[in-house]
Amino acid sequence: MKLIYKITLFYLTISFVVFLFGYLITYQVIKREIDLEQQRFLKDRLASALRMIERRPLTRPFEREKISIIPLEGEVPETGLLYSDTLVMHQSLERIEPHIKLDVVRKVGDRYYKISMYDLIIEEDDIEDGIQESLIKMYLILIGVVLLLAAISSYWLLKPFNLTLEKIKNFNLKGEEHTRFVKSSTSEFNKLNIFLNEMIRKMKKDYFALKEFTENASHEMQTPIAIARGKLELLLESDNLSDKQTMLVISAQDSIRRMSKIGSALSLLAKIENREFEQIESLNFSELVEKLLFDFKELIDLKEITVEEDIIKDVFIQMDSTLAAILVTNLLQNAIRHNKYQGEIFVFLDKQKLSITNTGDPLTLDPAQMFDRFKKNDQSRESVGLGLAIVKKICDINNFLLDYNFKNEKHCLTIRF
Amino acid sequence: MKLLIIEDQAELAANIDQYLKKEGFVSEMAANYREAVNKLGGYNYDLLLLDLMLPDGNGLDILKHVRSHFPSMGVLIISAKNALEDKVKGLELGADDYLPKPFHLSELNARLKSIYRRRNLQGEQVIKFNEIELNTDMMEATINGQHVELTKKEYELLLYMLLNRNRVLSKQSIAEHLWGDYMDAADSFDFVYQHIKNLRKKIVKAGGSDYIQNMYGSGYKFNEKR
Repeated sequence: MKLIYKITLFYLTISFVVFLFGYLITYQVIKREIDLEQQRFLKDRLASALRMIERRPLTRPFEREKISIIPLEGEVPETGLLYSDTLVMHQSLERIEPHIKLDVVRKVGDRYYKISMYDLIIEEDDIEDGIQESLIKMYLILIGVVLLLAAISSYWLLKPFNLTLEKIKNFNLKGEEHTRFVKSSTSEFNKLNIFLNEMIRKMKKDYFALKEFTENASHEMQTPIAIARGKLELLLESDNLSDKQTMLVISAQDSIRRMSKIGSALSLLAKIENREFEQIESLNFSELVEKLLFDFKELIDLKEITVEEDIIKDVFIQMDSTLAAILVTNLLQNAIRHNKYQGEIFVFLDKQKLSITNTGDPLTLDPAQMFDRFKKNDQSRESVGLGLAIVKKICDINNFLLDYNFKNEKHCLTIRF
Repeated sequence: MKLLIIEDQAELAANIDQYLKKEGFVSEMAANYREAVNKLGGYNYDLLLLDLMLPDGNGLDILKHVRSHFPSMGVLIISAKNALEDKVKGLELGADDYLPKPFHLSELNARLKSIYRRRNLQGEQVIKFNEIELNTDMMEATINGQHVELTKKEYELLLYMLLNRNRVLSKQSIAEHLWGDYMDAADSFDFVYQHIKNLRKKIVKAGGSDYIQNMYGSGYKFNEKR
């Protein structure tokens, strides 16, 4: 939800509470005014009734609609004005309606009279309905106006912010060009821009330093390794080496090979991380998988592994072709290496996913760690422990989901595109 | 076979020189771009071993120079930058092959010889050693004139061993030669053993001598003197 709509919603919720209180207050004020008005009205009528009695004293009780005057015998104390609510039959409406009633005992001339007058009350329901209707209409107008204003003001106020966002979205760490933010009249946004500028500058500096280091490290490492490897090969050529010495040399060569593998795998990881493989193209994944399966056929046969394929033709995936080849190679390599003699591999590919299932011993490793660098199920094994880390990295930068499970003695790695 | 090694790492160049001497290569060394261009102007070489990263210039420029002036010279690029673009560019500019560092000297030897054969010994596609003959065009082997049925890998293995006669070849170097980047997929050292075993059997069955010598379980040698 957009910030401005969140604020608006928040504002409208508060307004709703205020309107509720407003409703109570309005109701009370109106009710009070009406009550006062009615009492004054009854008082006026009492005054005219008294004037009437003065002119023509009554001897019998006088009963009309909304008024009754009863002459009293003897001496009775006068009372003040006494208001009360009562129910009276309304003559024209022909039903009982609530009325306000005024009772008073007054002495007019030399007689005392008990005078009662009624008037139709304005019902509380009616007041409530009226207030409710007007407040609801006002609230609806408020919602409309606020939403409209929010839309307009957010466009206008947040324009610099959105421009900044757009710049960040299009920001490319590898790009040489300088990212420029548009100056705004809002100081917060200007602060943000200054901060972002500084951050980007630092990031670029670090990125280029890291990149240079990775490239250099990988290059500088391979050359001494190549030299050492050559020296060992020359040493093997010597005529007077004992069996034991030969074995020592060859095992040193093995370690050198592993070192070189680690170097190139780490530099590959860094390159993927630095997004140096970004020649995204529409790639026929089915063909790629078939081709690599064919390339591995001999090694698969040597281990007497049965391969079953369910590969849908012409599955196209948007990704860098080098990375795609590395991804599938590593997965197949993994499925062959950690397989048993006369094991099985099942390769499934459709538009949604690629899954490679292979037989093999259960993991001794926590499956959550299997994609970490240098995590190996069998530490003594020949592998370097970076293959699946590379797979994971490639999946990450392509936004593929990578999933592992072990069922019925079978390891299954699934990539969802 | 005259070879110019253009490599700024003197130690590496010395390794290569020492290893190849036994194979009949006569090598000269150039440690930088300037030296390389000088030497190329003064002498005639059959083969060029070119490191792309030089302290004072790009090896690809040397390659361009060589291709325009010495079209028949064989060029093998060696580079520590295992970058695909370099490889593609090098081959596009007319290099014969590309070998990423670090490499086995035996592999380098085999590749240089293949280039030399392709470039200089036109029409001669047969490698002969005593009773064994390999036709590199047809990828076929004969022993005592008799055709021997070899698988592709067995043929490649035999060729590799013939090109590296009397050398100790570690299982590692053989596996890397046969399967390249895929060697990590399986327990490839065991497969080297199987291939060697089958190859030996086939050679002996066809009446050839058993030249392949097991070196203490960790390597093999194609021994002429057996």
